[in-house]
Amino acid sequence: MSKKDSISRRDIIKTGGAMAAVVAAGLLPKKAEAAKNGTPRWAMIVDLRRCIGCRGCCVADKSEYGAALGRYNTVVKNVEFGKYPAPKKYFLPRLCNHCSGGEKDVPPCVEKCPEAKSGKRMKLGKTRYRTGATYKRPDGMILLDMSLCIGCYKCIDACPYGVRSIDPFVKLTRPDREKDFGVGKCTFCQHRVDKGIAPSCVNTCQGRARIFGDLNDPDSKVAKLAREFKLLENRDKTTLLPGEKTEPYNLYIDPDGILARYKITKETKLEEFKSRFE
Amino acid sequence: MAGLNRRNFMKFGIASGALLAAGEGLKSQALAGTVKLQMGGKDFNFKTGTERKAIPTACWSCVTRCAAMGFVEDGRLVKMESNPESIRTLGKMCSKGQSGPNDVYFPDRILYPMKRVGKRGEGKWKRITWDTALTELSGRMKKLRDNGHPEKFMFHYGRMKASSSKLIKSVFLANYGTGTISGHTSICEGGKWVAQELTWGKHYDNWDFDKTKFVLNFGSNIQEAHTNHIPTSQRLIRAKVERGVRTVTFDVRYSNTAAKSDEWIPIKPGTDGAVVLAICNVIMKNNLYDKSFFKFIRATENVNASADEKISALKSHLSKYTPKWAEKITGVSASKIESTAKEFAKAKPAVVISYRGAVAHYNGNDTERGCQMLAAITGNIDNPGGRCRGIGPHWKYPKGPKDKPKAKKLKLAHGFPGTVAYPNHGVCQQVLPMIKDGKAGRPEIYMWYCHNPVYVNGDNQGNREVLKDEKMIPFTVTSNIVYDESSKLADMILPDATYLERWDWEDMVSPNQVPEYYIRQALIKPLGEARDLGDVVIELAEKMGMPLGVGSTKEEYVKKSHEMTAKAVKGFPGFDYMKKHGVWHDPNAKPKYYSHKKEIKADKLKDAILDEATGVYWNPKKAHAKNPEKGYAETKKAYKGYVGQKIGEKVYKSFPPDKVNKSGYLELYSALLKKKGFAPLPTYYPIPEHEKMKPDELHLTTYKVAVHVHSRSTHRKWLSEIYHDNPGWMNPKTAADRGIKDGDKIKVKSPIGEIVTNARVTEKIVPGVIAISYHVGREESGRYGSGRKSPVAGGANDNDPDLKNKFWDTYGMHPNWIIPNSDDPINGQQRWMDTVVTVTRA
Repeated sequence: MSKKDSISRRDIIKTGGAMAAVVAAGLLPKKAEAAKNGTPRWAMIVDLRRCIGCRGCCVADKSEYGAALGRYNTVVKNVEFGKYPAPKKYFLPRLCNHCSGGEKDVPPCVEKCPEAKSGKRMKLGKTRYRTGATYKRPDGMILLDMSLCIGCYKCIDACPYGVRSIDPFVKLTRPDREKDFGVGKCTFCQHRVDKGIAPSCVNTCQGRARIFGDLNDPDSKVAKLAREFKLLENRDKTTLLPGEKTEPYNLYIDPDGILARYKITKETKLEEFKSRFE
Repeated sequence: MAGLNRRNFMKFGIASGALLAAGEGLKSQALAGTVKLQMGGKDFNFKTGTERKAIPTACWSCVTRCAAMGFVEDGRLVKMESNPESIRTLGKMCSKGQSGPNDVYFPDRILYPMKRVGKRGEGKWKRITWDTALTELSGRMKKLRDNGHPEKFMFHYGRMKASSSKLIKSVFLANYGTGTISGHTSICEGGKWVAQELTWGKHYDNWDFDKTKFVLNFGSNIQEAHTNHIPTSQRLIRAKVERGVRTVTFDVRYSNTAAKSDEWIPIKPGTDGAVVLAICNVIMKNNLYDKSFFKFIRATENVNASADEKISALKSHLSKYTPKWAEKITGVSASKIESTAKEFAKAKPAVVISYRGAVAHYNGNDTERGCQMLAAITGNIDNPGGRCRGIGPHWKYPKGPKDKPKAKKLKLAHGFPGTVAYPNHGVCQQVLPMIKDGKAGRPEIYMWYCHNPVYVNGDNQGNREVLKDEKMIPFTVTSNIVYDESSKLADMILPDATYLERWDWEDMVSPNQVPEYYIRQALIKPLGEARDLGDVVIELAEKMGMPLGVGSTKEEYVKKSHEMTAKAVKGFPGFDYMKKHGVWHDPNAKPKYYSHKKEIKADKLKDAILDEATGVYWNPKKAHAKNPEKGYAETKKAYKGYVGQKIGEKVYKSFPPDKVNKSGYLELYSALLKKKGFAPLPTYYPIPEHEKMKPDELHLTTYKVAVHVHSRSTHRKWLSEIYHDNPGWMNPKTAADRGIKDGDKIKVKSPIGEIVTNARVTEKIVPGVIAISYHVGREESGRYGSGRKSPVAGGANDNDPDLKNKFWDTYGMHPNWIIPNSDDPINGQQRWMDTVVTVTRA
């Protein structure tokens, strides 16, 4: 057994806590609490150097969920600039940011959901939480429970990134709402991750541009990359729409400053979150 | 708890996973640091959490044929992934592979045998039974055979590989007795293969990205599409990001590959060869070559020339190809050529890669030979990190009856007589024009498989007229899953099984020089009455009274192949293992490099004779030579008796010939080309059409995108959702000169016709060119691909709830209507990129 293998759980938590304290100064007590309780903090790191624009992730997601045509959980956008003979083209994979919610610790979609706390009491490790139509699990996943959704679609408006959309394949079940459609978005493949399998898009990504894992585990690849590229300290350069202060956990390795060239506005956000090119 | 060590912790994590699987909810979620995510191999229903059944298989979307995993739920195929055990794919899959389930369930799929009831091409059909279909087809085929004319049955395939090819071609068609068979390689990359056969022998160049230090690319769009896409593209990007390997891409278009290269060097269409020769010039002139490799090179008429003589011959030949000369032709600056040459020569190892952008031209043969020369003079041949000889598995398989008839054939597959010097991989674009011509005879039955001849070749209009004409071809039949432009002109359509419903053993090249054996197993029962053509030919043979004796199904054929392979290949684990794992490679195998350096020992030479003219030791008996005294070069198929090449006082395996009687040297000097009146050393030939271009004319070039497969994927909704329109790319300058703005309707006119499409004004292309991709522009491909419901007999599967979600109503414009069928005079490659057009606002 190697030295590394024999680290005790207490050590792991200590290291985890220390790591969190170092790399994410300003981590809120509640999050620190979750970390101390041993709850994972799932994150997706997208390495823009590695994405070759194959769209394997987009189609893997379609297939994993049988997602309706025209509705997307993840997309890859082309970001193009420059003049001939030196044009530039980058590929920008996008998905739900699984925002922590910044200072409020509540992401905008959850904040605006009238049914965000109408579900069951649950426990993840030692950390208690309550489900809702849209809710945040202590491990950071923003999840949906369509049996609680009333179809107000405020979450779609609230998300500044436009990653939520009406899902024509999901009918609401609440009385008087049976005719309405539900809402869909990326769940970090919670149904796979909970069973120890990486998200479908990560599984297929030939560039290994999508790296998924637990930031609270200092030995994880995401934690190492977060340290190496200072992803948590430089959120203004490693996340989309840093001005919204939603604190995304979809973090980008972006040495060429592509995020800064990519625009999302309130008006274009839904149209932008579509996967298409010519 | 605090005393738990990490290993115990992992166990706990797994246990909690098991609890979750049993529906215990989230309360026992594993803790941070304990969850070791597995990359794949398992999948679950996202609503119910139920595990889906995982079955190893192989993709067939493109010719890469990746080892794959299919996930089945309640008898329905729901998901594809890669096979995590594969050393080729490393568990990765592209968008095309991921769209596999669409191939099975698209609503317009052909599910029942159909017979034409109206005029040919009218689109009126009736459903018939398999028995009726095969009784008619076998009756027609048997009649031809009984009358002594099996050659009047022509078989034309698009993709047919590994066990499918062996069973259908080598067993069934051989036993039937027809040699009137054509593939499709000359519209793909056949020219590249011939150029390699004329230099280093058996084709396929594997690019060893894992070990290279520099990549020089001429016209390959490897990051979007390639014959070995997933195995190589992921290794290229990994080399770049993890090891800082530089890639320089020469291309007319700023492709995704150019975008992921360190440098894109725009180049005038059809002039790559000039840059390659100028790079070789710089390397030779500056003595940056690798002298040690010259031992294996032939560079002069004299096969016994010394290394110094060869070096001097190449220096002299290349002296006219200066960077300044190339600059005028190509538009690439002389200083860039000079610096690229030096960078390539000094980065040891370096790999030169090439594909259709460079090869599908009038002069493509010598562009590829030039690339071989560049690799050879720098010692980057079959070395770690260089241009390596492709390595695949060697399956054993049943060959059917021993006493097969001598095949008779109509000479339709190798081009018009005298037009192509070495059509080693056929000249398939001329099959329908030659049928029209009639001088080589006409088939009475024309059958095509995994192919769409009137769409995928040039001159779409001309080809349609031939296939539609019952006087030229009395009976037409296809086995297909989709009602496409060619099936529309069939008299009978057999519903093929998709690749996800059939069995095969597979054999594509490995990116790491270690062969991988892998299989395709049927994930589900074929839908409707669909049947694999492999199964169908076994029954056809029975009906004609010529049983094949290879088992009653393709599955049995594949199983027998496993039994035979297990006897021949050390450690091969057999059918049960392969069904469970899908892939196998010898764990003790070392990557195969430098096979040319192998010395041939004296005992291996005892049945061989030395041909003084070439220095080849060959065994005339093995080559079935009746008059060996004619010499190696002049004896038909003498290459089959090749044993080794005499170099100095020793005999080496060197570079064994394939398909032509090349010497065992890596022939930069080709006696075979000289014999046919071409320059023996790699030479730059200007493209005749381009020489005559007027100032207002443009080059038409075509290309592939990352989310479609040739003409074979538009019915897959998840791909067409992303890409369903193909406007013509034009540089802003080109557009402005013609008063064209982005999105304008434009007319593109060539010598054989015109199309109307839209302009996409973009910085990503050289001026003077219009680029149009060829995946879309379908007239028939079902609702997702063409907007048209296919008139399939027996009813379409309209259960797809996505039909009402389809949001696109544009389907693009196919460029092949205006590209003539025209061959590289050396190798028969269809000259996709040589068409000259005018573009005006429509």
